[in-house]
Amino acid sequence: MLTPADLVHIHLLLNHFPTIGMIVGVGLFLLGLLNKSEELKRGAMAVVFAMALISLPTYMSGYSAQKSLRGVQSVSQDVISFHQRSALFALIVMEAAGVVAWYGLWRSRRHVSVGPRLTAAAVLLSVVTLGLMAGAANVGSEIHHPEILSDPKAAISTEGILAPRWLSSEFITKYQYSHPWAWKTLETIHFMGLCLLFGVVLVANLRLLGWMRNAPLVGFHRLLPWGVWGFVANSVTGMLFFIGQAFQYIENPAFHLKMLCVLLAGADVLYLTWHEEVWEMEAGATASALVKLLAASQLVLWIGVIYFGRMLPYIGNAF
Amino acid sequence: MAVLQWIQDLPISAAIAESDSLWWGYAWWLFVHAVGMGLTAGIGFIVCLRLLGVGQQIPLSSLRVLFRLFWVGFYLNLVSGTLLFMTDATGIARVWELYAKLVCLAFALIAMSRLRRFVDSTESDRAIPPSIQKTAVACLVLWLAVITSGRLIAYAVEARGAVA
Repeated sequence: MLTPADLVHIHLLLNHFPTIGMIVGVGLFLLGLLNKSEELKRGAMAVVFAMALISLPTYMSGYSAQKSLRGVQSVSQDVISFHQRSALFALIVMEAAGVVAWYGLWRSRRHVSVGPRLTAAAVLLSVVTLGLMAGAANVGSEIHHPEILSDPKAAISTEGILAPRWLSSEFITKYQYSHPWAWKTLETIHFMGLCLLFGVVLVANLRLLGWMRNAPLVGFHRLLPWGVWGFVANSVTGMLFFIGQAFQYIENPAFHLKMLCVLLAGADVLYLTWHEEVWEMEAGATASALVKLLAASQLVLWIGVIYFGRMLPYIGNAF
Repeated sequence: MAVLQWIQDLPISAAIAESDSLWWGYAWWLFVHAVGMGLTAGIGFIVCLRLLGVGQQIPLSSLRVLFRLFWVGFYLNLVSGTLLFMTDATGIARVWELYAKLVCLAFALIAMSRLRRFVDSTESDRAIPPSIQKTAVACLVLWLAVITSGRLIAYAVEARGAVA
């Protein structure tokens, strides 16, 4: 299983991806707009969606890095806290960009083009994400590279906007303890999101596996955004559990396996959203062996997500 | 109540409650209960969404097979729910959330069987009558209520457990 040191390495590896990936994403968007190429725009959306997925473990593994630096004299805990809050702000905008990018990919299947408004929203969110990610990464780099430390006071001047107090773990933890209904409400929404997401995953993949063969795939394609809303509900509520109680989860093996299942299932979703032929299947058509394998893996992965989620307090020590 | 205490003291109840096994202990049955919830409420959501106009290219008749899977989920939860209840019968029977859940569940099942009769009928590939759509809305709300009250049972038992 992953040791605390592994998790720190994961953070130090992954933390390059969101900034560099978003430079690629924004670049592809600009090229797509200049060349009026739908394919390049779709490519940009796929990159943004992938970065939205990778940003989740990037943010979460940061808590391990933070823990490893507790009590180390040469680093400033204030800079770490500033980094963490600005990273969360960047993450929130990144996830919004990821959802819009997925929606653009989904819509381009339905209407041939992504559509000007959706493209504008995706480009805008991606540019803002890139700026915020670069800012958060810059503060992060100052944690352990004192040679490039800029004037700490200059950094603090933007803190109120880019890293507000209420994005700190301490604030969210305190809120959860002082408002017992908050945790219960989040859990309830998490279970509702589970049912919605699982329902869509179940029927769409069962169709690919050969059930309900008299239905064309286009009908299931229309259901996908509902599954994504379920996923959005569960990412938001899940991240609020995580941020509030990060140290219950970050070294919990069940949590690592749950996140692995989520990321692999997310990669599957990206592939299946991208893959044109799947959605062109008419009534009566059967999927290729590869698509059937992916469909079966989706079902296994989401049941795995439920299993390891349910096991968080039992394999690990989370409540 | 003596009956509740008797249920809770049955060897099988105690074995599940005290087991640390991830394969047949308390945690395992919680997992089975979550999968059953995904199957029942999840399929319930899909059927209702389709009846309300999402994914109209899917012929209603092709949803018939989902009802079989719905009942698989239902029986999984009947078994897992009963076993989970048995592990702490005296505690769980004292919270009103349990009865709220069972009442919501009964109404959700009535609504589901009404939807199933329509989906199974020869009329299902024609226009969906407003009465069926109203039932679908009610059915969605009822499943949300079942999930909410079910989730709250855990917190209520925890909060009131100390009194016993």
